[in-house]
Amino acid sequence: MAAPHLRLTAVPAAFPLLAALAAAGCATAPPAPVVEPGGAPVEEASAPSRPSPEGAAPAPRGPVLALLDEARAAERAGDLEGAAASVERALRIAPRDAVLWHRLARIRLAQGRWRQAESLARRSLALAPRARALAARNWRLIARARRARGDAAGAREAERRAAALEGATG
Amino acid sequence: MARGRGRRRRGGRRGARRRAGWRRRVALRAGVLALLALAAWVAWLDLRIRTEFEGRRWELPASVYARPLELYEGAAVGREAVLGELRRLGYRPVPGAPRPGTYALEGARLRIHTRRFRFWDGEEPPRRVTVRFAGGRVAGLAPAGGGALALLRLEPALIGKFYPRHREDRVLVRLEQVPRLLVDALVAVEDRGFWRHHGVDPRAIARALWADIRAGALVQGGSTLTQQLVKNFFLGSERTLRRKATEAVMALLLELHYSKEEILEAYLNEVYLGQDGPRAIHGFGLASRFYFGRPLEELDLPRIALLVGLVKGPSYYDPRRHPRRARERRDLVLRLLAERGVVGRAEAARAARAPLGVVPRPPALAEYPAFMDLVRRQLAREYREEDLRSQGLRIFTTLDPLVQAAAERALARGIAALERARGLPRGSLQGAVVVLDAGTGEALAVVGGRDPRYAGFDRALDARRPVGSLVKPAVYLAALAHPERWTLATLVEDEPLEVPLDDGGVWAPRNHDERFRGPVPLYRALAESLNVPTARVGLAVGVPAVVDVLRRLGVRRTLRPYPALLLGAVSLTPLEAAGAYLTLATGGFRTPVRATRAVLTAEGEPLSRYPLETEAVLDPRIVFLVDHALQRVVREGTARGLARYLPVERLGIAGKTGTTDELRDSWFAGFAGNRLAVVWLGRDDNAPVGLSGAAGALQVWGRLMAGLLPTLTPFAPVEPEGIEWAHIDPATGLRADGGCAGSVELPFVAGSAPAERAPCAGTPGPLRWLRRIFD
Repeated sequence: MAAPHLRLTAVPAAFPLLAALAAAGCATAPPAPVVEPGGAPVEEASAPSRPSPEGAAPAPRGPVLALLDEARAAERAGDLEGAAASVERALRIAPRDAVLWHRLARIRLAQGRWRQAESLARRSLALAPRARALAARNWRLIARARRARGDAAGAREAERRAAALEGATG
Repeated sequence: MARGRGRRRRGGRRGARRRAGWRRRVALRAGVLALLALAAWVAWLDLRIRTEFEGRRWELPASVYARPLELYEGAAVGREAVLGELRRLGYRPVPGAPRPGTYALEGARLRIHTRRFRFWDGEEPPRRVTVRFAGGRVAGLAPAGGGALALLRLEPALIGKFYPRHREDRVLVRLEQVPRLLVDALVAVEDRGFWRHHGVDPRAIARALWADIRAGALVQGGSTLTQQLVKNFFLGSERTLRRKATEAVMALLLELHYSKEEILEAYLNEVYLGQDGPRAIHGFGLASRFYFGRPLEELDLPRIALLVGLVKGPSYYDPRRHPRRARERRDLVLRLLAERGVVGRAEAARAARAPLGVVPRPPALAEYPAFMDLVRRQLAREYREEDLRSQGLRIFTTLDPLVQAAAERALARGIAALERARGLPRGSLQGAVVVLDAGTGEALAVVGGRDPRYAGFDRALDARRPVGSLVKPAVYLAALAHPERWTLATLVEDEPLEVPLDDGGVWAPRNHDERFRGPVPLYRALAESLNVPTARVGLAVGVPAVVDVLRRLGVRRTLRPYPALLLGAVSLTPLEAAGAYLTLATGGFRTPVRATRAVLTAEGEPLSRYPLETEAVLDPRIVFLVDHALQRVVREGTARGLARYLPVERLGIAGKTGTTDELRDSWFAGFAGNRLAVVWLGRDDNAPVGLSGAAGALQVWGRLMAGLLPTLTPFAPVEPEGIEWAHIDPATGLRADGGCAGSVELPFVAGSAPAERAPCAGTPGPLRWLRRIFD
């Protein structure tokens, strides 16, 4: 008995937000200068257009974007935990959105919670392994978290993976 | 003595004079002493007043809230669900929804005027929003006055409290929050001179005395609000003259130190206004919710009059037990208010025609004992029991009342149906359900037994039972981590197996149907929950490796690495089992189960937050393979029966049945994309129930998920990098092609798919044709 359906649904379809953010970037105010030393703001990441899994309604964008705005405002005001709360609220709405997990990872990194930062970035990677730009950012973030923890070899490995992805992106 | 007497006798007049002086001195001294004593007494009362009133912090129960309902375009919440939530919150239908706490049904639309609410991340202002629905979902939000609104968060429902030991309950209000009308009415009825007197009102006393004399009995008290407050705060209820004096002095002192507003606010929060079983209802804030199901700010004149009337005798005038008395009292208050010019006569007359407006006695806020148990235990790591019971903390939890209701219903009805169908003694079967959000690990529902209101033994948290085949995914995770040796297509012998044990015994596992099938591919061994192949694989990979996987999945108990562990000689609670399966649902990320999101102080200041945490613990590729096999459990294995309840194919449901020796425990653990649930059925005395996992727990699970169907998303795991797919001939475990009937497509860790072709494969078209004829 074949399982074509399952295979189809196994294709990542978890980030309608990437496209939404790219679109929103033009329409609204320029993205906040949340400086991520790993590179440009993640919102610019491009989304591969893959079908969404059969039967799954696409994750709603409006509320997620609104909550990301809230998170950004909180972050700018220095309230990192408030920012995390907003991102978590968004994750309850769109739990498979790789960008949201990455966003949370960035907040944890800024808080110096290295292990959580890495784990969250890995979860982001697992949800969108083929979104190269986002994957590269996740590896950069992991590299920083590892270096901060004193794992130099692990950091180099993560950087190598990031560089490979960035090279391929061009 | 003798000498003194002699002196006196000798003393004569001089002695008498001296005696008078002595008496004067004694009197003087006594007077001074008495004054000093009085002053000391007053000073002592003063000290008590200042320290106790100043530092007066009521012991406030902690309030526990459900998750807030979030409405946004696309939210899987239908109109009925929103209406149910609004009713739970005590919102009432009023055309146009003019005030906070009201809503209006306008055709297919719902207009809601929300209440202000302080959340962890700030205050949600009152909003007036029209919600559109379509197809069981929110189709759009339109705030009054135009503009856009992406997200509407309703206030969360109060689901329980942690009470102080004396069981006094109150909802503190600030004076600004209290309707002016209520204050005026209270003053007019209880203490007309309040704004003028200094704590004691001689005119009121005179009036009362006059009334008593005329009636020849004690019919009227002249107590001011201040005196009543003093009595409640500092003194007992005995009615002696001395106590009256103390009360008067303390009332004067209280007025000396504090403003009228402070005294009034304390009174409004202190006054006793009713009883709810062991729970004493104090203060107008709580009384308003207790009698009318709404906050104080939303009370109208007849309700205010009723509450003010209650002050005189909350049990005598109890509007639920003695509605007639309560009504007479209310109408008397209304007449009094009109007489004293607080309200107009017409207004009072209109109010007197209104019904009492009392809601049925609210459930005793003990609806979710099992869930509250979980909250309490998780908070106990950081909070002292004492503080939970007295500091008025505001606890925001993850409970979803809709999911909880579905879980309770599924368990109660499922158990009853099973008892009927199987001829089990009625009431013998017990069970527990845990439902988690499959992405974040938030606990959405916890049911501790078939009677969900019973706050006794909480089986979801405390029934530690052998999990049976629920453990099998751990065995296969351990094995598949060696792709060079095991893949989902690897054939395993289903032949009799005997393992000598250290203690001299022999372990000889058997399949549930007592049959042996010869070689079976690994995925089928899991799908059919075959014990013997699983034991073989587990022994080959090593029991310690399986124990290691269980740890990674999140099992924290001490696990003894005996062979029997491979077939489920591991005892877990339903909650623990859910936590372990969550790691499978997340693709290998252990995520702590949380019941609490945040805790705020009574004043609304954030105290602690319980953030979402996650940890990569397993190779995502291996989890992907096992999740695929778990989907096959549901599509073609032991959990086929779920199709009766759900479109399992579309939802990609993954799950596993579990059964223990002699059918004592019946388990099912499984997940859709966004919901994970574990069901356990069994008996409290651990006697056999005659139900396998599929015959018992699965049925409850199916009912539960069917109840949640509109909100479920499909489980469609993202394929990790390093996976390849291949068609396999299950008979040989080798690569198949179109020539093989009954071939299956399976995922493999890249490079591990079999290269060798099955005999049925690889032959050119026409020959294949022939071949099939001859087979």
